[in-house]
Amino acid sequence: MQVTDFTLAVENLVVDRGNRRIVDGLSLSLAPGEIYALLGGNGAGKSTTLFAILGFLPFSSGTLTVCGHDPRTKPDAVRASVAYLPENVALYDHLTARENVEYFLKVADCPRSRADIEQAFESVSLAATAWDQRAGRFSKGMRQKTAIALALLRQTPLLLLDEPTSGLDPAASADFHGLLEALSARGVSILMVTHDLLGAADTADRIGLIAGGRIADEWRAQESGPRFDLNILHDGFAGVK
Amino acid sequence: MNNVIREMWMLGRNRASLAALVLLAVFAAAGVAIGLANVARDSAMIERMLAGQPAEEQAVAGFVEDAGYGAYYGFQPVWDPPSDLAFAALGNRDIAPAILRVRSLSLEAQLYENESANPELSLAGRFDLVFITIYIAPLVLIALLHDVWSGEREAGRLFMLSSLPGARRRLWAVRIAVRIAGVLAALLIPFAVGAILAGTALPRMLAFGGLIMLACLFWSVVILLVARRGASSVVNAATLASIWFALTLVVPAAANLAINASVPVPDGAELARENREFVHGAWDRPREQTMDAFLALYPQHAAGSALPPTFHYKWYFAFQHLGDLHVAEQSQAYRDGIAGRAAYARAAGWLLPPAGIAQAMTALAGTDVTAQLEFQQRIRAYHTRLREYYYDYLFSERPFDVSILANVPRFDPADDGDAGAD
Repeated sequence: MQVTDFTLAVENLVVDRGNRRIVDGLSLSLAPGEIYALLGGNGAGKSTTLFAILGFLPFSSGTLTVCGHDPRTKPDAVRASVAYLPENVALYDHLTARENVEYFLKVADCPRSRADIEQAFESVSLAATAWDQRAGRFSKGMRQKTAIALALLRQTPLLLLDEPTSGLDPAASADFHGLLEALSARGVSILMVTHDLLGAADTADRIGLIAGGRIADEWRAQESGPRFDLNILHDGFAGVK
Repeated sequence: MNNVIREMWMLGRNRASLAALVLLAVFAAAGVAIGLANVARDSAMIERMLAGQPAEEQAVAGFVEDAGYGAYYGFQPVWDPPSDLAFAALGNRDIAPAILRVRSLSLEAQLYENESANPELSLAGRFDLVFITIYIAPLVLIALLHDVWSGEREAGRLFMLSSLPGARRRLWAVRIAVRIAGVLAALLIPFAVGAILAGTALPRMLAFGGLIMLACLFWSVVILLVARRGASSVVNAATLASIWFALTLVVPAAANLAINASVPVPDGAELARENREFVHGAWDRPREQTMDAFLALYPQHAAGSALPPTFHYKWYFAFQHLGDLHVAEQSQAYRDGIAGRAAYARAAGWLLPPAGIAQAMTALAGTDVTAQLEFQQRIRAYHTRLREYYYDYLFSERPFDVSILANVPRFDPADDGDAGAD
């Protein structure tokens, strides 16, 4: 594959914050529909990598493109191609789920019909009774479903997830991974940074272990048998932690 | 346009923000209503005073026997009509007399005689549109803008919002503009209604509206500079409250104290007492002494200055005028001091934009200290014309005729006051 064929292409990325080098020569790429889990301990550079992709943080060297666009020169083109879900999806508590989604879509200049929004809610299994409920009453899982519905409606080729399953109960976590697989099947590339080794092993096509600001190890899911050798993953993760 | 409608909708869904704007609009409307009521009261008083003048003159004409009586009993109205912007900036109109009735007696004692409003009400200060714009509107702007970024960050939405394409242009700029526009609308709509009711000339209406916008722009810039630093909402709010407190209350009060200390103004009550004592003392002084001093000023009346052994108004009005001259230096120093303090206050206004804008508003409305001094200058000029008119009759010993009263000079509020003022 050529670089331009990748939804996300990162090569030797270096990001400094103040005098500290947070990301130090990180390289990774995502093909359309691929789910990549970036595992790592606290301070390993996972969230910083996401912020660099979004153009929130400048990078000192290396290359980074989203759908062929460089966030330094075309931040809006990059953001138009990316949906980002922070660790704790926060919505406007005084607005309903529908109003929240309509509002975010309008800010993104991406208007959708009422029917489209309801279809997206159905796709993410958000109960119909919640559509017109104020988001202030939502659980974390419901807020995430609302945000995933927003990502679906925006039809972006890349989804960035920051610790998406932290705080979710096992059932909600399983639901969420099901959603990611559905998105992947539609060709959406997903990069998630996570501590959730089991969840990553369950969903990701590739798992990268980030340590010292670079990919220290990387595993690809097996097509037959167990997708990943959990012992190897665990040992690797425990080693960098 | 869609972005503006979206943010207006969002603002409308936020009850606290909406309540703040509604409250500001209510305050602004109340300020305008109070201003219009003040102006209407002043206008009604002027009308009533002018309407009653012919009847009073007729009554005086019924019993006076010579020009001296006419000059003594002939009160004439002088007034400072409220400008078409006075409703928005009451300025000094509530503390300085804008309506007086003067006669040919010593002027200094008459200048400050008026139907005072309850002084305890004056203590509370003016609740006009200037007060709302300078003191209240910044607080609403602070409430709406201090957490424009920090509030989203603390709620956890900042990065999700910022990750949307065109967020800077389509979200933050529009959100800030809509909130500022909300504050401006709360101030400008009541002002526009008041201006239409007051018949304000369009250019002056636009100029005053521009000053309101300038005040809001100044505070918006200050608030956004603080909000951009990245501190928490609580820190932003505390910082901005401190800046508001300093810029609107502490520093202006300190500047006022410094100006008052550096520009001394003679005591007004002392001036009035000195004038009154001199005038009363004239009864005990030799009449020749008074007349000599007066004729040195008005040699053209020397031929008719001989006094009868009994009382004559020639002598009476001569010492009345000499009473004014006796305190002329103090009076001039008093006016110069007031004008000097006003000049320093204007200079301080460049360093204290809220105070400077408030001064510009009262200056535009013609209700500032300068306008008050100009009104006094017009009164002085008129008083000179009035007493000199009577001097001509008093010293010529022409036979009295009631037409003397009818032809008395009349005050013209539009007169520039330069001619004949002493």
